[in-house]
Amino acid sequence: MIAGKTWRELRVMALVYLAILELLTVPVILLWPDIYADLQRSTLLRNMGVDWLKRIGEGVSNRDEDVAYLNWIAVMLFFRSANLVGLAAAVLLGTGLFARERESHTFEFLLARPVSRTSILWQKSWPTALCLLVPLFLANLSALYWSARIDLHIPVDRLLWATVHAAAFTLCFLAATTWMSVRCRVQAHVAFVIGGFTILQIGIYLTQRWRVASLFRLADFEWYAPILTGNLTPAQMFDPIHERGFTTWILLATVVFYLLAWRELRRAEP
Amino acid sequence: MNAIEVQGLGKAFGSRRVLVGIDLVVPAGQLLGLVGPNGAGKSTLLRSWIGLCRRDRGRVQVLGRDPAVESLAIRRRTCYLPGETGVYHQMTGAEFLAFAHGFYRSHRHDLLERLLGAFDLPLQQRVRSYSAGMKQKLALLATLVPDVDLYLLDEPDRALDASVRCVLRDALLELKAAGKSIVLSSHHLSELETIADRLEFLFAGRFVDATALQAARARLRHRLRLRLLDGTTLPAGARILGHEPDGTWIVEADGEPLDLLRSLPAAHLRAAEVGVVRLEDLYQVLEQTVPTATPGSAT
Repeated sequence: MIAGKTWRELRVMALVYLAILELLTVPVILLWPDIYADLQRSTLLRNMGVDWLKRIGEGVSNRDEDVAYLNWIAVMLFFRSANLVGLAAAVLLGTGLFARERESHTFEFLLARPVSRTSILWQKSWPTALCLLVPLFLANLSALYWSARIDLHIPVDRLLWATVHAAAFTLCFLAATTWMSVRCRVQAHVAFVIGGFTILQIGIYLTQRWRVASLFRLADFEWYAPILTGNLTPAQMFDPIHERGFTTWILLATVVFYLLAWRELRRAEP
Repeated sequence: MNAIEVQGLGKAFGSRRVLVGIDLVVPAGQLLGLVGPNGAGKSTLLRSWIGLCRRDRGRVQVLGRDPAVESLAIRRRTCYLPGETGVYHQMTGAEFLAFAHGFYRSHRHDLLERLLGAFDLPLQQRVRSYSAGMKQKLALLATLVPDVDLYLLDEPDRALDASVRCVLRDALLELKAAGKSIVLSSHHLSELETIADRLEFLFAGRFVDATALQAARARLRHRLRLRLLDGTTLPAGARILGHEPDGTWIVEADGEPLDLLRSLPAAHLRAAEVGVVRLEDLYQVLEQTVPTATPGSAT
């Protein structure tokens, strides 16, 4: 019941999200041959003063085009899947989950139905998570088709694992947004808190000195490039002891935010 | 068996005490009317019975279960109409009803048909296009049609015109005749009196005891509303309490109000109302006579 209602509310947004992801994928791939040719002629990116931009520059202008292309896909994942469109979608889909119910006076109606609050949270959360993740996987997997059009190849398994990491990162933001949506009475407040936090994180990420403290370090080019080039295996991604085994920690943080939302909803009064 | 048993129920929001030592028994099959001014605690009381808000103290049993522990089991056998109309604006009326009814196993289809006929709602249109009254009708359909044991209705007659309130009254009487327990709050005292088995007045978080209520009603029986020709002087034994914008005087008679009426020249009397207990008057008298809860003394 509630899951169906949530799907009906979010389906248009999910389709728009998929369309945006796809629109950002296609030109990035089809224009690659020209971009690579330009990168071979220019040394601008390789000589950037900022370390992380320099590493990106070196990666995408690698003499081996196959490696350079995988790095290019990693850049695409970094800027598109998780950190920009993915997070925006997580915030847009998540803010209204409960705060909008309060604003439209349906929160009390919903809580008075013969269904547990645990079930309400679950039935609202999983369709939202699917609306967030399915377009992400579809758009990323479509890169296989578009890559074939320019005679380049992405290993399916590596692309899938990179997408799993991106999905975990966006899911974590969705869980945090859901928690805030239960806490706040107004949707705009949720957007303000999560949006403000995200902008702060972007600011920290772009500041060389503080960059190490930014959450975006957990899903940036230096994450996706090793996965796509085969230098970070799935076992290492999910090994919490491994220095780069952050996927497990991100998933654990997702569970913690979900439990916080559950605790908040159990205590909520109309 | 009792549908609801409450002993010493207390609830505070911060330092504001909303419910103070509420004791109440509602036998199964009874229709109880809750009356009280805004902020008296009616909604909080109803919410506490289905676990929507936690009590601070006291004992509550609804359909034999404690809402603090088994609220889901209670909600399976209860329908609750919130005080603020909560309907999903993005749904059509039909979609909303299907959604709301889908949570319950059995429904009173005959009542649904009758109410749908009487309410005349455009169910294929989105709820966002509905007026306030139409939304309230939709919320009533969502609440009254599921076949449960207890109906808790917080101001069900809000935003409804007189003819629809008659339909609502008949529906409630039908549910009562079927042995259902009903508790409803309302600001329409005279209409509530015609259907309720019992009325309880909630005032500043406490129920007004029967003696105080009887005294207030007795005092109001001496109150008259008079519209007189300009320049008419009131006879001795009449005390003016106030006047309304349309020129009606609110007067209290020391003796029998009808004697006072008779003593007025018939030609000077344009309209008179005697013996009608208006809710606003009752609140006014109760405010003067019933002790109120002291803010900040919640424990």
